[in-house]
Parts: sequence; C-alpha cells; structure tokens
Amino acid sequence: MTELQTPQAGDDAAPDTDVVALLMRQHGDIRNLFDEVEAAEGDARQEAFRRLVRLLAVHETAEEEVVHPFVRRNVTGGEQVVDDRLAEERSAKETLSALDDMDTNDPKFMAHLLALRADVQEHARAEERYEFTHLRRSADAAGLALLAKGVKAAEAMAPTRPHPGVESAAANMALGPVAALMDRTRDAVRRATGRD
Amino acid sequence: MTFNPLEQRGIPLDRQLRNWRELDVAPIDPDHCDPYTRCRIITMNGIEVEAIMFSHMLARNTVDPEVKRQLARTRYIEAQQQKVVNWLLPGVSSVLETTIAYEQVAVDLTAWVARMEPDPYLKQAYQFGVLEDFDHLYRYANLYEMIEHRKAESVVDGLTEVMPGRPTKFHHRNPVDNVRDPYDKTRTDPLSKLHALTIMSTEQQTMNFYMNTGPTYMEPIARQLYQEIGLIEEEHVTHYESLVDPGETWWEQLVNHEYNECYLYHSFMEQESDPRIKAIWELHLNMELEHLHIACDLMRKHDGRDPESVLAPALPNVLTFEPNKAYLRELLDTQIDLTTLGAGYVRDAHERFEKMQEGIHGGEAAPSERVMTQHDEMFGREYRIETEGEHPDPALRGK
Repeated sequence: MTELQTPQAGDDAAPDTDVVALLMRQHGDIRNLFDEVEAAEGDARQEAFRRLVRLLAVHETAEEEVVHPFVRRNVTGGEQVVDDRLAEERSAKETLSALDDMDTNDPKFMAHLLALRADVQEHARAEERYEFTHLRRSADAAGLALLAKGVKAAEAMAPTRPHPGVESAAANMALGPVAALMDRTRDAVRRATGRD
Repeated sequence: MTFNPLEQRGIPLDRQLRNWRELDVAPIDPDHCDPYTRCRIITMNGIEVEAIMFSHMLARNTVDPEVKRQLARTRYIEAQQQKVVNWLLPGVSSVLETTIAYEQVAVDLTAWVARMEPDPYLKQAYQFGVLEDFDHLYRYANLYEMIEHRKAESVVDGLTEVMPGRPTKFHHRNPVDNVRDPYDKTRTDPLSKLHALTIMSTEQQTMNFYMNTGPTYMEPIARQLYQEIGLIEEEHVTHYESLVDPGETWWEQLVNHEYNECYLYHSFMEQESDPRIKAIWELHLNMELEHLHIACDLMRKHDGRDPESVLAPALPNVLTFEPNKAYLRELLDTQIDLTTLGAGYVRDAHERFEKMQEGIHGGEAAPSERVMTQHDEMFGREYRIETEGEHPDPALRGK
C-alpha cells in the first residue's frame, strides 16, 4: 500500500552512538522482515527468508559477542539475566536451523515460521525490558558508543560474502549455513573489538 | 433485530466470579489480529475502567453501608471483567505500538460517533475532537518508526489513514475554553447519552495510559511527546465530560453506565471477527445484563423513579468499528483551523488562545513539532499513510 521503505538500522541517518537504540531498531527490522516473508510467495519468499536468516544470525551473534558479555561483567545479577536470554536464543536458533533447510514452499514452512516469529519476538522484548535497561543504566555515553561500534561491525557481515578463511566447504556444509554465518560474524566482531 | 436489555436476564451475580484459570486469557497475536479486534479490546478496557472508578466515586458519596456492599459486589466483578479484557493485549507489544492502537480507536470510534450523533452541537464536539486524535496518530507514527523502525501501517493495517490533522501544537487551549455546554437529559436522544459516555470513557483511559506509560521511555523526544499529548488528553476529557448533563442523579448515571456496557458488548459481539474474543463479549454481555438490573433496582429504590423513563426502549444500532476515511477527509477539508472560544468554535486565534500558546510553548518548538524534525533528520522524509490520495488541505501536503 505505501511505498515507504524503512531503511535497516545503520542505513538510516541516526548517529548510532547508543547501542540500545541501534538494537531496538534492529528488532523492528527483523519484525519487518517476518512480515515480508509472510506476505511474499515463491522465489520472493525464498529471497526474503534468506535475508531474514542473515539478519537474525548477525543480530544474535552481535548480541552474544557484544551485549551479553558487557551485562555479565558490569551488571549486578547480570549472569542470570544473560543466561535467561541465552536460553531463549538457543531455542530460537534450533528452530532457525530447522527452517533453514526447509523449502519456503513446503506446506509446513509457514507454521514453523510463525513459531520462530513468536520466539524471536518474545526474546526481543525480554531483552529490551530486562537486559537493555541494565545496559543503559550501567554504561556511560562512551560505553554505549563503543558497544554500538561492535554491533556495527557485525552488521557489516550481512549481506554475507564467501568466507575466505579457515573453514572448508565441507565444514560449512556440516555446520549448516546459519551456523557458519554466525561463526563468521563472531570472527568479524572479535577482530573489530580486538579480541581475536 | 431489536434488543432490549431491560427485558433480558443475564447470569446471576453470585455465579459471575471467575477463578485464576478463567482469568488467565491468552493474548491476541499483535502481528496477525484484526486491528479492529484490538480497537474493541482497548475500547472495552476504557469502558470497564470508567465503570470501576465511577462506582468507587459513588461509594465514596454513599452513607448506607448496605448500598456500599451492593456496589462493592458488582464492582469486584467489573474489576475481573477489566482484567480479562485488557489482558487480551499481548506482552510482546511495546507501549508505543499500543499507543498507535489507542489513537486508531480515538480516530475511528470518534468519527463513527460523530457520523451517527443526532444532536448538531454534540456532533460538532466530536468532529472537533477527532481531528486532534488524528494528528496525534500521525505524530506517534513518526516516533514509532524512529524508535522501533516499524511502520504504523503494521498496526492500523490500511484501515485508518495516517497524515496531519489539526496540528498538535494548536491543541493547547486556555482550560476554560475546553468546557462545553451539556445536553439536556430530559430532551436529548438516549443515543446521545451513550455516545457522550463512551467517548468520555475512552479518552479518559487514553489520558490514564499516557500519564502512566509516558515516563517509561528513556528517549527524550518520546518522554516529551507523551507529556504533550497527555496534557491534550486531559483537555479532551474536560471537553467530553462537560457534554453530560450534570443534573443526572448518581443512580441515573449508574444506570446509564450499565446500559452503555450492555450496548457496547452487544455491538462488539455482533461484529467480532475472532470467535474466541466474540465469546468473551457475549459472556460479558450476559454479566452486564445483571449489573444493569441491579442498578435499575437501586435507582427505583433511591430515586423513586423508573429507569425506563431515562433509557431507550431498545438498544440503538450497533456501534461499529469501520474505516471512516472519506468522512475524515471532509472534516480535514473544512474544520482543520477551528479552535474553541467559550463553549463554541471559532476560526480566529483569539487573545486567550494566543496567551495560552505563548505560555506553554515558551518560544520553543513543541515536542510534536520536534518529533517531525528529528524523524526527518533520520530518514529524510516523514511517515504517512495516504491510501485515498494526497492530503485534502494543500498546505499540509507532503514535500
């Protein structure tokens, strides 16, 4: 109906100096992509689903590498907060991996997609309410900006390019495309934040 | 089909209590529900909140302990009804997302009431107010895209347009100019009483919602916009509550409240697209019928009057959530530059209005203006949904 496209986080003109604002916009981007996959058919659905998988993989990896470690280290009770989020992420990742092998035209695809969507949405709101609030309370402006930089480094991984690194094609196949992408994103974040 | 609630019996009050399992309703799916199902939920929550608070006020003005106990019994059940209705809203929705839905209610409910209102003075009051809610929807929609990267379209689903109405900065009027003249309870159409109560209740709930959730935001522009629009909701409550005849006795008002609940649950039961939610509207209608009978008995006893003398002989046509795009465009074309003076409406920015504007804006841009500037900085455009063509007012067309 409307031709307005909301650009993805990082592509709008926001200064991106606050990791929480950045991640919240990315949550919206993910939700938008779910809408797109549901509305599309045939090849367009396949293509939109690829983009969704990439964004999810990159987003979750960035949170695991950048946000969760900070909360674990700097927030009282942070261990528990992060463990709860990781449990949700594991569940979403399992559904995601199962979906990733599925043909988007498979009659069972939509039911799996909706289940994933519900998991992802609940996880995203839980992060916003129970983790991000701690983040904003514990990190100063410089800290939030530094974390944002790490997330942006992860973002640069989607869309993905062929990875020239150590993993063999066979290993990639074994891990599955989602897992491989997550690994590559993890490497990129660690390089950007000087932790490799 | 005519339906006279006075002739129907519902569920006996002592069988209306629900246990935890029955209260624990599954929420709607925000991404796949009928937007008007969510509108009906938000509306009925506002109606139940008003029922509860009205009953508390009445109890505080009641001396007889037996009457207090009678009011408490019904009120507890109404508190359970409010829990069931409002708990249909999902925890995964953000405050801002729910806010967009509140404004969709304000736009399409008020527009429908304006269309159906038989009294020209009351009709004007709704027409005036709806253009302000319409602008609030537009401002919040832009904030929503900024904070969550989501489009208001994903909430309103093309049923309601999103574009400028009467600019929010001009809604700040001298408080005395928000007070309207009341209808005359002895001469007004019974439908007019129900309309006034409905819109007053939903605006009041919107005011409550913004005053409580606004400060949960951390983003400065969000906090400021909720403050600004929250203050306007107070003006709207003043505007609509003053339409009600203050000569109605407490018992008459109680009967009107219960009757209106029957009317709305009946209306929503008739049009509900989600069978699970429809069953809730039906159950609550059957509870309200009994609340109405109890209220009628109280009125007979304490006022010495028959409730039939103040109520309609049958329920009016169902109150309906439906798109009102053409109607709103006509109002945008003809009433956008109105303000109030005393209990009437004028086109000029009179002295009292100018003074209020000067005082509240303090020489700076209002939050409702700054949200647009900040949105433009972020996206290089504004957010609108114009499904029926460009804005009717050439001055308010997009760049």
